[in-house]
Amino acid sequence: MWKKFTGMVCAAVLAAGLLAGCSGGTGDKNQDTQTTGEMAAKDEVVVTMPISSEPEAGFDPAFGWGAGEHVHEPLIQSTLTVTTKDLQIGKDLATDYSVSEDGMIWTVSIRDGVKFTDGEALTASDVAFTYNNCKEKSTVNDFTMLDEAVALNENTVEFRMTKPFSIWPYTMAIVGIVPEHAYDENYGQNPIGSGRYIMKQWDKGQQVIFEANPDYYGDAPKMRKVTVLFMEEDAALAAALAGQADVAHTAASYADQTMDGYGLLAVQTVDNRGFNLPCIMPEEKDGITYGNAFTADVNVRRAINIGIDRQEMIDHVLNGYGTAAYSVCDKMPWYNEAGEVAYDQEEAKRILDDAGWLEGSGGIREKDGVKAEFTLMFSSGDSVRQALAEDTANQLKELGIRVTTEGVGWDVAYDRAQSDPLVWGWGAHTPMEVYNIYHSLANSGIGQAEYSPYANETVDQYMDEALETATLEESYELWQKAQWDGTTGITQEGDIPWIWLCNIDHLYFVRNGLQVAEQKIHPHGHGWSIVNNVDQWSWE
Amino acid sequence: MRLNRRQRVLIGLGVSLLFLAAVCAAGILSGEAAMATDFSRKNTAPCVKYLFGTDWLGRDMLARTLKGLSLSILIGLLAAAVSAVLALVLGIVSATMGKAVDAAVTFCIDLVMGVPHILLLLLISVALGKGLRGVIVGVALTHWPSLARLIRAEVIQLKESPYIQIAEKLGKSKWYIARKHLLPHLLPQFVVGLVLLFPHAILHESSITFLGFGLSTEQPAIGIVLSEAMKYLVTGEWWLALFPGLLLVIVVILFYVAGESLQKLMNPGSVHE
Repeated sequence: MWKKFTGMVCAAVLAAGLLAGCSGGTGDKNQDTQTTGEMAAKDEVVVTMPISSEPEAGFDPAFGWGAGEHVHEPLIQSTLTVTTKDLQIGKDLATDYSVSEDGMIWTVSIRDGVKFTDGEALTASDVAFTYNNCKEKSTVNDFTMLDEAVALNENTVEFRMTKPFSIWPYTMAIVGIVPEHAYDENYGQNPIGSGRYIMKQWDKGQQVIFEANPDYYGDAPKMRKVTVLFMEEDAALAAALAGQADVAHTAASYADQTMDGYGLLAVQTVDNRGFNLPCIMPEEKDGITYGNAFTADVNVRRAINIGIDRQEMIDHVLNGYGTAAYSVCDKMPWYNEAGEVAYDQEEAKRILDDAGWLEGSGGIREKDGVKAEFTLMFSSGDSVRQALAEDTANQLKELGIRVTTEGVGWDVAYDRAQSDPLVWGWGAHTPMEVYNIYHSLANSGIGQAEYSPYANETVDQYMDEALETATLEESYELWQKAQWDGTTGITQEGDIPWIWLCNIDHLYFVRNGLQVAEQKIHPHGHGWSIVNNVDQWSWE
Repeated sequence: MRLNRRQRVLIGLGVSLLFLAAVCAAGILSGEAAMATDFSRKNTAPCVKYLFGTDWLGRDMLARTLKGLSLSILIGLLAAAVSAVLALVLGIVSATMGKAVDAAVTFCIDLVMGVPHILLLLLISVALGKGLRGVIVGVALTHWPSLARLIRAEVIQLKESPYIQIAEKLGKSKWYIARKHLLPHLLPQFVVGLVLLFPHAILHESSITFLGFGLSTEQPAIGIVLSEAMKYLVTGEWWLALFPGLLLVIVVILFYVAGESLQKLMNPGSVHE
């Protein structure tokens, strides 16, 4: 009897579940929300970040803090320059800077009266020490353009370069100045700086607590205490649901959740996703295959570029929280809008037809025995990249191109991307990224660009010239010409060696009443950028 | 109609094997559907059209679950078979080839049993570059000791039996004795041990894949399906984890039932143990 009763209850529950599912499609997923969490004090804020944002090597610029793969303002330390809201250059510690005519010497004057939080004055020799230290130790960022930094006097530092580097002010905006007298191998664990905040407590794997620097030389921070919690997106959502975080980072897949007491903040970014298309026929060197017989045809690359409906992809994968991407540097001052294209599937098919890629068996095109197919890799465990790869495969199938997706680890991804397209994420507040992706490197691999085989002398030349200009403004124009100068470049009418899909909005659940100050376009990395200006946040 | 114990056992065995075969067949047939993405139907809760619902890429969870289970079963079968053969060979060799070999094999058994199963499995899988090969070799190399120990003990006992001793006296070779006298006697234990290894192998394959050290993420393995589902539990998409998890448990239980049934059939005395 009891067994029968239990069985009936189970059957009823299952049936109810099935019926509820059918009626609702995606269903009403409003969560039971609670606002029981303690509201933070009026000058404190709790922010969540991905676990990967926790700086493994500590808060040391030489090991990637601020000046790492994901650039951001270092908060604890001050920088010589800063990037403004429109990604131009402003000044922080520097009161003035100039560059010699040949571009080989940068001279920077430093603000007077700045003190580290241990009471010692910040001088030009600290600046010189910081940069020389970074050059010597940094494995994360490139400092090969710097020969040495020399303090000329208390307030003037000179950067002697190995080659002209007109975009040096962008490097100066991410390198936090460390105190020479208090720097040792443990600096990253107990950082001392002259920035807006002091690191008070670091519970590794859990949280970092910052407190406002009472002796800061600029405007006093409005937020006295900033707590950063490291957790994955699902835990961040749970933290927000429990009212334990004021700003919880989240993903597009969670963005349709509604929570009492919280609103969704979407920040525009240049955190782009795209994939490389190797531009040469396959060849092998040192056990690595470079090139891909299908994507070596420029017409194929052009057809793919206009055959992808970016907006549909953004709606599908990002629930609409993103913008179409056409370059690695959309909306940056050095971006060339000539790269923008309209989705045109018919034109894409025509390009392929004209190029001799005709439909073969199973609806897959082929030409001279080469099938119109490739493997599109994505980093294992990254659900957004996986979804983008899947959607790309679906869309390209309509063009008669067979795309197989494959999740790979970063240990093999770099080498394999030399022959198979890989979904990448880029986007930085420096034009150097354009250089890193498109400029050929004579001394590495097969003398082509670093991440995917491509080389074009004209493009290289524009970028070389851009690095040699006397002013940033002049360099912007040359960076734009490297993208498209009217006859050659890396855009649709040019070589199109990379396909850019979308810039992913950085999403946050923000507690009502918290005024998050206006954000710069965020670079790649859903981490520290949000707190670049946390000192200007306020509670209503 | 009342069934006797033997009939009940046979029915249990038959139903288990039938179900497992059906899962395998369905999984093989639903390979395409398990991978096909369709964003227009993403995150659909279970309904008549999609009995197990769909995931964040709009993939049919029923197809993914079946494909994942069939993948797990096939990997489990392969790994368990390799493991059981390894156990059989080492067990016999250990018991018949003299003290030195016995000591070496016993040492290996103790060594492998001394390291936590899952840890050793992870290390082997990662060292072999993960993926299908890593998982199969990992599972195969970690599951043999208990069966090997059992077989070794059985052989040592058999060696004392009169018919083996007479065969030795008659000048039969060790190979002949092993093949003609030991193997047939060991077969029931071997088969039962093999079948009881399956659920272990399947669970361990799923576990290391769940932890990210097994199959690649684009493969619809049950471990991948479950680990992906974890991210969406917080948004209320319960069906992503419930059905695959439930079916995994059912498959493992059925293998266990099949193994136990086999044991009862082949060794009726074990019922009273």
